[in-house]
Amino acid sequence: MSLKYMIPASKFKRYLPKDYVELVDYGPFGKDYADVGVKNMGTFKELVEEHPMCSGCWMAYYIKIIFAALPNPENTVTIGTAGCGRLAISQAAVPFIYGNYGDQNAMASGLTRAFRLRFPDIQKDVITIAGDGGMMDIGFSMTMHAWFRREKFTTIMLDNEVYGNTGGQESGMSIEGAVLKMSPKGKNFGKMPAMQLAITAGCVYVVKMSPTNINKSAKAIRRAIFAARNLGPTFIHVYTSCNIEYSIPTPDVFRDAKEMEKGRFAFEEFMTPEAKELFAKVESKKKREVS
Amino acid sequence: MYYVAKVNSEMCSTYKCNMCTLYCPEANTLMYDKEPKHGNKNGTSWVDEDRCKGCAICVYVCSDLLERNCIEMAMVTPD
Repeated sequence: MSLKYMIPASKFKRYLPKDYVELVDYGPFGKDYADVGVKNMGTFKELVEEHPMCSGCWMAYYIKIIFAALPNPENTVTIGTAGCGRLAISQAAVPFIYGNYGDQNAMASGLTRAFRLRFPDIQKDVITIAGDGGMMDIGFSMTMHAWFRREKFTTIMLDNEVYGNTGGQESGMSIEGAVLKMSPKGKNFGKMPAMQLAITAGCVYVVKMSPTNINKSAKAIRRAIFAARNLGPTFIHVYTSCNIEYSIPTPDVFRDAKEMEKGRFAFEEFMTPEAKELFAKVESKKKREVS
Repeated sequence: MYYVAKVNSEMCSTYKCNMCTLYCPEANTLMYDKEPKHGNKNGTSWVDEDRCKGCAICVYVCSDLLERNCIEMAMVTPD
């Protein structure tokens, strides 16, 4: 998608749907991140539209942050797979591709390469966003191989530690002993070390976190995208609770995320020396990067 | 009937705060108007009731974390 395609002729505007016109007039496209970034959410038209994710879903919240933090939304493509997250990701005003059976990172590999050939003069960002099942179970081989090949795109894993929308089966990311509706005896094995796997496989920037601080969350997303543009694969492992399968009352969802931050989702950040150098350069500009 | 968040704009405007809008999980739902309106000193948060899913995370942020008590949950009817 290009910014030019989104802006309607002034005389045609009155015939377009209200949401579309609002997006053009009050959305973040082509505007300065300082005005339409995460800090100003609630004062501009956000990219995510109404979606069927559950009330109080922390995954929906993090998806909202992802889209508000994009450095270049008009030149971004998201890829996902089966899971709760795609219900909201597909409702955003950013092109979304649905990958079957966890093949989002394989598709992203091809798409990133194609973009570099087709648009050598435009920076197109590709981001794969999937759950723990899509990323570390079903799509595990494709995720790992994309990292081994040093494909230049960002991978975001929305980890709710369960197969949320299929009834509560254990996933590779569920913790040992987790008792769920479809694993009543409790899980026999431990949680997969996703962060360590990503570092071993060659990711240049890896973060594990629970999204309780909006600026910290946005910074990690933007860093991951900037590093993926220039250096290699990046990975964000984020805790996004399933309040239905883990029976968390909706007003306590944020409190739960804060508890997780003190435990197994304590903030961890890994970056290569090249990535560190790049961030110093990019962040010193303090301007929204538009290619 | 729907369970939605209601902002007391008079109280909210005294704080110049948009923390609830930053932690609402729904996009374009809990908004912040920077311009003072209806005789308020500052801008206020407001809720698009058609989009609110009634999770009450905003109440946790406003009342439990910030102790400002500007938001409460209420039942509304479609008309």
